[in-house]
Amino acid sequence: MIELIIDNKKIKVKEGTTVLNAAKQLGIEIPTMCFLDGMTNHPSCMLCVVKDVSDGKLHPSCALPANSGMEIITNDNEIFDARKEALELLLSDHVGDCEAPCRPSCPANMNIPLMNRLIAEGKHREAIEVVKKDIALPLILGYICPAPCEKACRRKQIDKPVSICALKKNVAAHDIDNDTSYMPKKAPSSGKKVAIIGSGPAGLSCAYYTLSHGHHCVIFDKNAQPGGTLRYDIPDDKLPKHSLNSEIEIIKKLGAEFRMNIEINKELFKSELTNQYDAIVIAMGNFGDTNLVDFGFKSTKYGLQINRDTFEVDTTGVFACGNIIRSRRMAITSVAQGKSAATSVNQYLKGESIQKKKRMFNSKFGKLYDSEFEEYLKEGSDSQRIELPDGKMGDFSTKQSTKEASRCMHCDCRKPNTCKLRIYSDEYDADRKKFLFGERKKIKIYNKHNLINYEPEKCIRCNICVEITAKQKESIGFTSIGRGFDIEINMPLNRSISEILTKTALLCAKECPTGAISRK
Amino acid sequence: MNKIIDKIIAEKGTTVDAVIPILQAIQTEYNYLPTEAMQRVCDLTDITAERIYGISTFYSQFRHQPVGKHIIKVCVGTACHVKGAMRVFDAFKRELNISEDNDTDNEGLFTVDKVACLGCCTIAPVVQIDDITYGHVQPSKVSEIIDEFLNTDNTPMDSDASVTIQNKNLEGEIRIGLGSCCIASGSSDVKGELEKSLKVNNINVDVKQVGCVGICNQVPLLEIHKNGEAPHYYTKIVSTEVNEIIRKHFRSKNIFRRLKTDISGFIDNYVIKGIPVSTKKYSSESTDTPVAEFLNGQINIATEHRGVIKPNDLKEYSRLGGFNSLKKCLLNYEPDQIIDIIKQSGLRGRGGGGFPSGLKWEIVKNTKSNSKYIICNGDEGDPGAFMDRMLLESYPFRVIEGLIIAAYAVGADSGLFYIRAEYPLAVKRIKEALYYCQKDNILGNNIMNSNFSFSLSIFEGAGAFICGEETALIASVEGNRGLPKMRPPYPAISGLWGKPTLINNTETFSLVPWIISKGADSFAKIGTEQSKGTKVFALAGKINRGGLIEVPIGITIRNIVEEIGGGIPDGKAFKAVQIGGPSGGCIPASMSDIPIDFESLSEAGAMMGSGGLVVLDEDDCMVDIARYFLAFTQDQSCGKCTFCRIGTRRMLEILDNICSGEGKPEDIEILESLAYSTKKGSLCGLGKSAPNPVLSTLKYFRQEYMDHINGSCRTGKCKDLIIYAIEDDCIGCTKCAQDCPTEAIEFKPYEIHIVENELCIKCDICRQICPVNAVIIR
Repeated sequence: MIELIIDNKKIKVKEGTTVLNAAKQLGIEIPTMCFLDGMTNHPSCMLCVVKDVSDGKLHPSCALPANSGMEIITNDNEIFDARKEALELLLSDHVGDCEAPCRPSCPANMNIPLMNRLIAEGKHREAIEVVKKDIALPLILGYICPAPCEKACRRKQIDKPVSICALKKNVAAHDIDNDTSYMPKKAPSSGKKVAIIGSGPAGLSCAYYTLSHGHHCVIFDKNAQPGGTLRYDIPDDKLPKHSLNSEIEIIKKLGAEFRMNIEINKELFKSELTNQYDAIVIAMGNFGDTNLVDFGFKSTKYGLQINRDTFEVDTTGVFACGNIIRSRRMAITSVAQGKSAATSVNQYLKGESIQKKKRMFNSKFGKLYDSEFEEYLKEGSDSQRIELPDGKMGDFSTKQSTKEASRCMHCDCRKPNTCKLRIYSDEYDADRKKFLFGERKKIKIYNKHNLINYEPEKCIRCNICVEITAKQKESIGFTSIGRGFDIEINMPLNRSISEILTKTALLCAKECPTGAISRK
Repeated sequence: MNKIIDKIIAEKGTTVDAVIPILQAIQTEYNYLPTEAMQRVCDLTDITAERIYGISTFYSQFRHQPVGKHIIKVCVGTACHVKGAMRVFDAFKRELNISEDNDTDNEGLFTVDKVACLGCCTIAPVVQIDDITYGHVQPSKVSEIIDEFLNTDNTPMDSDASVTIQNKNLEGEIRIGLGSCCIASGSSDVKGELEKSLKVNNINVDVKQVGCVGICNQVPLLEIHKNGEAPHYYTKIVSTEVNEIIRKHFRSKNIFRRLKTDISGFIDNYVIKGIPVSTKKYSSESTDTPVAEFLNGQINIATEHRGVIKPNDLKEYSRLGGFNSLKKCLLNYEPDQIIDIIKQSGLRGRGGGGFPSGLKWEIVKNTKSNSKYIICNGDEGDPGAFMDRMLLESYPFRVIEGLIIAAYAVGADSGLFYIRAEYPLAVKRIKEALYYCQKDNILGNNIMNSNFSFSLSIFEGAGAFICGEETALIASVEGNRGLPKMRPPYPAISGLWGKPTLINNTETFSLVPWIISKGADSFAKIGTEQSKGTKVFALAGKINRGGLIEVPIGITIRNIVEEIGGGIPDGKAFKAVQIGGPSGGCIPASMSDIPIDFESLSEAGAMMGSGGLVVLDEDDCMVDIARYFLAFTQDQSCGKCTFCRIGTRRMLEILDNICSGEGKPEDIEILESLAYSTKKGSLCGLGKSAPNPVLSTLKYFRQEYMDHINGSCRTGKCKDLIIYAIEDDCIGCTKCAQDCPTEAIEFKPYEIHIVENELCIKCDICRQICPVNAVIIR
């Protein structure tokens, strides 16, 4: 047995144990990417570096044998920086997106590519679920959203963007027409009451999510009918009232109580709302149009002052969202804020600390080179963009929506939640742009295999797959081709991917630490 | 094709470790590796497709595309680089109309390639077309060279027939050096002419070809030893002068003499063009000659009997005391005693790391195993270094002797020479030497009638600098991509095929016989407190007398540059020395009084490395030098670990930006910090030392980096930061206009010419050709 010290803790391990495994026995987690037990490929990623106190040098713990009397530190600033830098170097050579460009450009961060794929497969019910996870009013927005997502769509570079907005509208319309429209699963009732002032896009969206969180919701509005600007500022030929009504109806069905023709003034706010409600959300539209100044909340030159992370105003239990905090042109922004405010309200009501939901690290490489169009088109049909009939007023047929959705090129990574490069880049707050100096490598996509896709430019050259194919006795396996920076893991002697992965495809996809090899 | 491949396989074997020799044989046959040939190998051997393809794409020796009829190799070693090799390379491609992405011309006549170092640093820039070497090549000479090559009968001159005269009444002896660099400088021509002249004149003299003389700056060099006269040296001679020299010393006779051809000589098919003619004669008794000054201050241990000994004459080596040390060890010493002697001598590994050799031997000896290996590391890949090559070519028996002694001391039963395939002469001479040793019972069973049996073979490297790293070297011998492994375990404990393996550098082994014969103390007397003995350096660059030198460790840089090297040519100012090649660093002239030893050099940010020593003058741009070395290591990185694979690339990109005037002030900081983290985070010595050239230039020449960022390269080396102009001194001779490849200079006889900057590609031809130095760089 060997005795050593890791992070000031003594441990005895068997001879031949690596520092990585010794640390694991102590419950100390060291990040690894290229390491896989039983393989001989490591070390290469250098993420698992630890410090040997005796020489002060960094060593990859996955290949460092534990020695008697050794003293190891697994985490200090120098180690953290070295790991972060290793990640940043890998990111500088990682040509791939975690999220498709359309998604982060959607203010509501809706999972657009997933919606597209579900539509293409004819799974409208699953599609509306995806949509409504982030957008409470998809049908309404289907008429009026300027679709910033389509401006970011990669397909735009090749011919024309996917008609994302119309597809979303189609899904929503399909759902409304259905006998049993999709209703979100409601959390058990909390017994808490939330007052929402204003029934415009922000208020309605906030109500939708607050209700699904299990809280009771009362919506106050000065007008006779709910909808705010959606009803009173947008003409019928842009947004038909029946569509507006049908989505409000869903919120009503979800349990919202609408109190119309009530203009909340200072007294009413203080006496009734503050006393009777557990939380208040102010979503009453443009700041200038209101009497809010009297309420005594702090304001900026744009509107009500809030904590930008939590949507709280300077009074506990009071939140604000939508144009009241700053007038925006896009309803989708208000709808997105409504959801964020609802999330904060929920945390507040549960007695949790209110935290902004941090968006996960997102690798993005920017524009495609012209020569890469062909690669990306492998994943989407080459049909032409279909426009909605009758401007934004019409709708796709099912056939049209399937066809249009299949134009989506699957820009998003297939392993957004299991890619170690993403997980650790997030954890170490890596800057993906830090080492971007030269020209990036060109993207290739191998998608001819029936189970997996291989994207070499997402590979970190760990060689795990090379070893898997060799060990599992594929007749021809993956190999490292070339040397140094230009190394590529690929098929030898011009073989095809189906020829080399006859039985190890899924195993390779599982063990590949990034999205380079992924299940279809 | 199948027949040929089958024959190769029958010869090389079917095991995985035969993969590199098989591929080398295929390439020798076809000039590249046809896919069908590789497939055939996979079908018939244990070698898988992934192995063969992984290997063939890892080692730079291998080509996957057919090449042109002739291959033009432009040397881009350090010495050639500082003398404008890239411009020469560009000029060849331009002349042959080869586009940027291609390497072969449309007719398939020429392939233009860069080669890391041909080891002819003293006649830089050097270009090889097939087997013909051209020295001092300038861009303006390129078309001439191609024409000349095509119009000359290039059948290699047969210098095989070495003339020996049977008659005992020799009038004297003429020695001529035939190391690779000598041959590249025209020694073969001279030798041929010499033999012809002796024959015609019926002069009875022994012509002796000796190994590398080391005085590469003065070659071809003839030494005339006439009975009863002080020896005379003739330096930088050309073949046309030979007859005259001979007649000066010896009287022609008319009596017919029978000549015998000695077939033990070598085919050395090189001739040389473009060497400046400057024959000078010196008597060995004068002390202020270039030769005497160059040799003064050197101590010959690894290079003992330099210029005297014929490389593979086993009898002569023995007569001069060779293999006495081995005999002494086998008969009188126990292995432990030998290890003690090596320990006492203070010998440290000469491959760069400086690990105490005795200690390494002891570890191998004490590791229990049924078999042990020993490897001589001759994978000298640094541009600007050719010590190992010279030792292997000129003193093969000495290296073998050192190796056998070591093998006996550690208990190894077999061993191998790992030699770069780019060193054909070294491979050939070691091969011959091994043959003679076997014949004389110096290798094989019961060596010299002792109980010790040992065998030696040769493994030819396939072009990967990383294979100088011992674990990567082992990987390549085992038939793998040359990837380093994490140490421990050290090869001394678990090396080749998992057995204890002693790996020492060529130079280390070559010092061993001397230490045994002269005693540990004699060796320990030379050198400094912590670094004992001598070190061989390849002295090149901006220096009057370049060449191979063996000096006591602890000698100062100034001593080498000013005394041995004779200072900087053309009255230019000494700026820095680059020591240790891509792993080393630049030491400024102001620090040239520091002693050259392992510790002082690493303190100064350089490294002993394997011994390249390139002198830089005021015309050399330090940012460009840093970029040059980083480009080399970046290209040679095996690609295993993140910091080396991507870190060196990013550093190179930053340097590219700085050199092209696109650098930002903050780039220097990012570069420096990335350099430090690459040092820290890389797996093996290559990555850990790759940032040294950058860090040392940042340390001593930071202002030059700033200047580049501010848009100026004072030395005019960085193309993107300079423009060419013609001053009023122009006499209107039109030479520049005639030679300008892009018509950037209009033809205006008797008028002052003007460079059209839009069209200028900065090839430097006009500046070189101008007879009145009116073309300047701004």
